[in-house]
Amino acid sequence: MQLILRGISHRYGGTNVLEDISFAVGDGEIVCIVGPSGCGKSTLLRIAGGLERPDAGEVLVAGTAPDGSLNPLTYIFQDFALLPWRTVAGNVSLVLEDHGIEAKKRRAIIDDVLSRTNLSDFSHALPRQLSGGMKQRVAIARALAVKPAIMLMDEPLSALDSQTRELLMDDLVALWQRERFSACYVTHNLAEAVRLGRRIVVLSRRPGRIREVVEIDMPLTERPGRLVELEKLQRRVWEIMREEAREADREISDVT
Amino acid sequence: MFTVTRRSFVVATLAGAAGLVAAGAQAADKINVGIIPSLTSHSPSIIAEAKGYFADQDLEVEFVSFQSAQPMAVAIASGDVDFGMTAISGGLISLADKGVIKVIGGALQETPEIEGQKILVSKAAHDAGVTSPADLKGRSFGITTTGSSFHYMAHKIADGEGFARSEIHLRPLQKVPAVIAALKSGQIDAWSIVPNIAGSLTAGGDVVEIGKVSDYIDDYQVTTIFTSTANTQEKPDLVKRFLGGLSKGMDDYNAALVDKTMGEDETAEIVAAIHEYIYADQPLDKAAPRISTGAMRMSPNAALNLASVEDQLEWFKSEGLVPEGVSMEKLVDASFVETY
Amino acid sequence: MSHEAAAEGRERAEEDVAAREAARPVPFRGGGFTHRRLGPVAPIVFLAIIALWEVGSRTGAISPVALPAPSEALGALADLVATGMLWKHVGASLYRLSLGWALGSLLGISVGLMIGLFSLARAGLLPLVSALFPIPKIALLPLFIIWFGIGEGSKVATILFGTFFPTVIATYGGVDNVDRNLIRMGQSFGLSWLSIVRKIIIPGAMPAILSGFRISASIAIVLLVAAEMIGAETGIGAYILMAGALFALDQLIAGVALLSTLGLAIAWLIGRTERALLAWRA
Repeated sequence: MQLILRGISHRYGGTNVLEDISFAVGDGEIVCIVGPSGCGKSTLLRIAGGLERPDAGEVLVAGTAPDGSLNPLTYIFQDFALLPWRTVAGNVSLVLEDHGIEAKKRRAIIDDVLSRTNLSDFSHALPRQLSGGMKQRVAIARALAVKPAIMLMDEPLSALDSQTRELLMDDLVALWQRERFSACYVTHNLAEAVRLGRRIVVLSRRPGRIREVVEIDMPLTERPGRLVELEKLQRRVWEIMREEAREADREISDVT
Repeated sequence: MFTVTRRSFVVATLAGAAGLVAAGAQAADKINVGIIPSLTSHSPSIIAEAKGYFADQDLEVEFVSFQSAQPMAVAIASGDVDFGMTAISGGLISLADKGVIKVIGGALQETPEIEGQKILVSKAAHDAGVTSPADLKGRSFGITTTGSSFHYMAHKIADGEGFARSEIHLRPLQKVPAVIAALKSGQIDAWSIVPNIAGSLTAGGDVVEIGKVSDYIDDYQVTTIFTSTANTQEKPDLVKRFLGGLSKGMDDYNAALVDKTMGEDETAEIVAAIHEYIYADQPLDKAAPRISTGAMRMSPNAALNLASVEDQLEWFKSEGLVPEGVSMEKLVDASFVETY
Repeated sequence: MSHEAAAEGRERAEEDVAAREAARPVPFRGGGFTHRRLGPVAPIVFLAIIALWEVGSRTGAISPVALPAPSEALGALADLVATGMLWKHVGASLYRLSLGWALGSLLGISVGLMIGLFSLARAGLLPLVSALFPIPKIALLPLFIIWFGIGEGSKVATILFGTFFPTVIATYGGVDNVDRNLIRMGQSFGLSWLSIVRKIIIPGAMPAILSGFRISASIAIVLLVAAEMIGAETGIGAYILMAGALFALDQLIAGVALLSTLGLAIAWLIGRTERALLAWRA
């Protein structure tokens, strides 16, 4: 399934946040969106999944979702967005309950996604008992439960410490190898972008416009072994962003 | 509840200082008298003050207002107020039992020749067939509080009509205005009250009179005069002078409003004096009829009907409202007035 | 690090310091400003006050007119138990409290949710709630008598109105404080409106609702005496009023002790409910 954004513009009050953004996420493709803080990355992602209405432009999907996909466009949030009063299994169950799936089948789906994310032993734990990395894996399990066609990931690793981030990035790569989902991945971390992105969309500071799209034609599995090349790419992206980031840092912002 | 004015404080202080300087000078004794400004039965002290009967006794009187009898009794126990007048209530007896206050004389008195307290029912109850006190069996009866005079009257009616006291359903409503509102709106069936209030209620048509309290209670001593035990023991002379002044006020009250033997001008003068304190929130032409109609007799020379007081005390004991051990000696100091 | 390595490192560090000048311990300055759990203090303080009071009454230092001895109040309580009136009073009061409080809370939660969820309800009802909340319900007692009679109606209504408003305010405040990200998450997974309200908003507002319960339960007990001013023959409030009218101070203190016991019991129950419903918070 593909996601196509056409001429997206958006304003908050009198401020232009996004201006004429167009790009597409192809089948099984991970597109990373990077940009200086306050450039409207998260707003763009909310628009992409239909959580916010753009002032101009349109978001389209093409192709068919895989069989049994309950929620083709599925988010992974930076703050995990787990219900603190539900157990790990309960949090996964939440997104299945509105679909009229019989209890036995629901149980089976929950067991399946928890085992795929190595969480089977924690199905009765409450979120407060889990580390940040574990919480994000619960959120990923929850997303997998609805068989998404396109994952919309809003800085999914930013709330984690660097070691956990490395581990989870490996998990994500392994997962993508198996599921081959399409993804729109918003991050401010360039190392993540070059490790995961098939393409990297670099946004300018506010109002967010596409500065450049960097293509990385290197299989994800090979990337950990070719860090020197990735390092160069990362520096190139940073060169594009550098001035923008400096200017953005000086702005007084009340828009996120 | 009550006020101790700065003036009285200053006067007391100055009097004390003067006493030190010139012990020989005779200053008038200062006393505080408690009144309830919604009850005409407190008129005699006001008359005595206005006509100078207290001054004749070398007393300087300050009136202190109360909403109800209970805080007045407590203020007398604490010594903030010297004298008061109220119906014998459970609170009064409890304080007497603790040895802090004493009944020293009689005031409002039911007498056969003068209209006394009435038994009233709501229009709705009357329509439903409650036309005599005998029909009050199984009906609700308004009282202010448990152990009030209304409670006593309700039970005396039950005793007199020969049904169990528990067959009359008491509804404590805390305040007289609340009882009036409940009776008028038919939320309670019956009540008993002094004639001047009963008169204005029956005139409205929402309430019907069905009997007289005097049919059930002989020579009812409705209110009594009381003071602190300390006063009776340490200043018997002061108590006598107060009663002396008050008796003259009571005589005037009887002459002006009960027997109506006083001249019109003098009566008007007395009503105006009463109006200084009673129903003072209404203009005189409105208040005057409420003050003068249905006045009940004040006991001449503050004579005390011991038989009635004892009957009331026995009733309180029988209902378990006061401790078993309270005796007439604890409640009454009969040395100041004539008793019968 | 192995033990030897650790020991070696320590020795080296000590030599370095000793070489320069004599070593001194760093003074500790992190004490205070924390609370320790001191279990038996509360009952000891309570018993000490009671004992002091009893001694004061026995020796005559405390006049019986000012305050009865605790043993007398205990005697009044024993009388209540012996005559069986205790259960009548407590039963009548509990009935009024539980009915008034339950109805007030139920209505309060419903209105609070409406204000929290619908802009129209917020615009229409919130000013009304703000205007009516501060009115002392005792002032409305005469009106309640006309509207609800002098029977159980006006008593339950007084407590109902007293508990309704704080519950409304606690509930809509709780709804407002539910993490918006959780609601957005629910929407992003295509949850129905009802599911979001039932599974995200109500549990999310629950801590605020329960702390609202603590306040409304206390208000209900405060209002009990006022509610039982009108035409009540039984009930703890009526018992206290009767004791006041008879100047029976031992009974008055006994009644007040009953009220505070009731308050403690209710606070304990709410605490238990909180622990059961909000175990996820820990």
